[in-house]
Amino acid sequence: MADHERQETEQEEIEILRRQVAEEHKMASLGRLLAGIVHEINTPIGSIFSNNQVALRSLEMLKNDLEHLAGETGAHARALVATCHSLAEVDKIACERIGNVIRGLKSFARADSDELHRVDVWEQVSGTLKLVQAEHGRRVVFENLVPPDLPRIECYPGKLNQALLNIIVNAAQAIEETGNVTISASAGADSIEIRIRDTGKGIPESVRDKIFHSGYTSKPAGQGTGLGLTLSKRIIVDLHGGELDFESSRGEGTTFRIQLPLKQKRP
Amino acid sequence: MESNGDKPIVVLVDDEEMVITSVRAYLALETDYRVEGFTDPEQAAGFIMQRPYDVIVSDYLMPNMTGIQLLRQAKEAAPEASRILLTGHADKQSAIDAINDVALFQYIEKPWDNTQLLLAIQGGIERARLLRDLRDRMAELASANDSLKDVHRRLIKAFL
Repeated sequence: MADHERQETEQEEIEILRRQVAEEHKMASLGRLLAGIVHEINTPIGSIFSNNQVALRSLEMLKNDLEHLAGETGAHARALVATCHSLAEVDKIACERIGNVIRGLKSFARADSDELHRVDVWEQVSGTLKLVQAEHGRRVVFENLVPPDLPRIECYPGKLNQALLNIIVNAAQAIEETGNVTISASAGADSIEIRIRDTGKGIPESVRDKIFHSGYTSKPAGQGTGLGLTLSKRIIVDLHGGELDFESSRGEGTTFRIQLPLKQKRP
Repeated sequence: MESNGDKPIVVLVDDEEMVITSVRAYLALETDYRVEGFTDPEQAAGFIMQRPYDVIVSDYLMPNMTGIQLLRQAKEAAPEASRILLTGHADKQSAIDAINDVALFQYIEKPWDNTQLLLAIQGGIERARLLRDLRDRMAELASANDSLKDVHRRLIKAFL
């Protein structure tokens, strides 16, 4: 190899490393940002939850007290209480939805992601889907078919969520108009397999060898860094001792398969 | 320090007024507890040093003083009262600190579930009252033991 070629290759490698570091910083900031938002919302939403419950109970008591109030005033008061009661019921459903989003974000942005934890795969997938749904939910139907009774896996939750997020976002972006992304999983003797299937355009044969390479992207400028799958592979294979591969057919979609050991080897 | 025998006393500390208002309204609807609410942990510390109570429920992150610091004072002032941390700042370290430092009775995360919070407070009251009762009985036993020893001494003196 000529000197200038070697120099160019080195330059390229440095550039790729620089972008990897930037990407990791970005994910860490995202985690911190989410943790901060969740913390800020926890108190007011807790208060609203509690008030809603008290309002509903009080309205029920008021309804009983008003039962025997005769005349037009009684009828009017009962109608008002009924209206307030149905509104409070709607608030309760709204609160539950917000609560679900918060729980999802919380499990995604675990502050202690640098430590090994035993986590529930369904919960991690569900938390990650809450994030992806915000951007792609109108176009893509996401389904979490992970059985809730799978054994817990030992992992670095923040990192694992980062890998899941990258792969699920890629799956959603592979769908040009509308389609489905389905996440399923099953347990083996000492490992768990998670499958992320999309009904997107599929990965062309010519690029299948390159998709885990740093800097490779098929997305328009500004949409992809070309690092998502490289980082995911590093997290799953290097950090957790798992496997990451895929099957794809043009026009039918792609299935990514993540295999993770139930327990991590101690360093 | 003794509780006033009848209504259980619950001390609520959170720098956000809304939490105190909400929990107070819920407890007023469901229980006959007396609720003492504080948005300033230093004022709460003043209260628990001087007045009897059964349970203290405290936030974690507050200006001037953390919930752990407040609960540590609470433990010194009334070891038999129960201590509950109600926190929006859920990390493992704060939970471990709380359990080890202040012999925490319950750790509840925000957004809290009223039923869970009520169960914790009820359990805390029951535990505090049992401990206080136990302490009183032990004191009674010790004093009975002292009188017995005294009688024994006098008997020996009389006969020997």
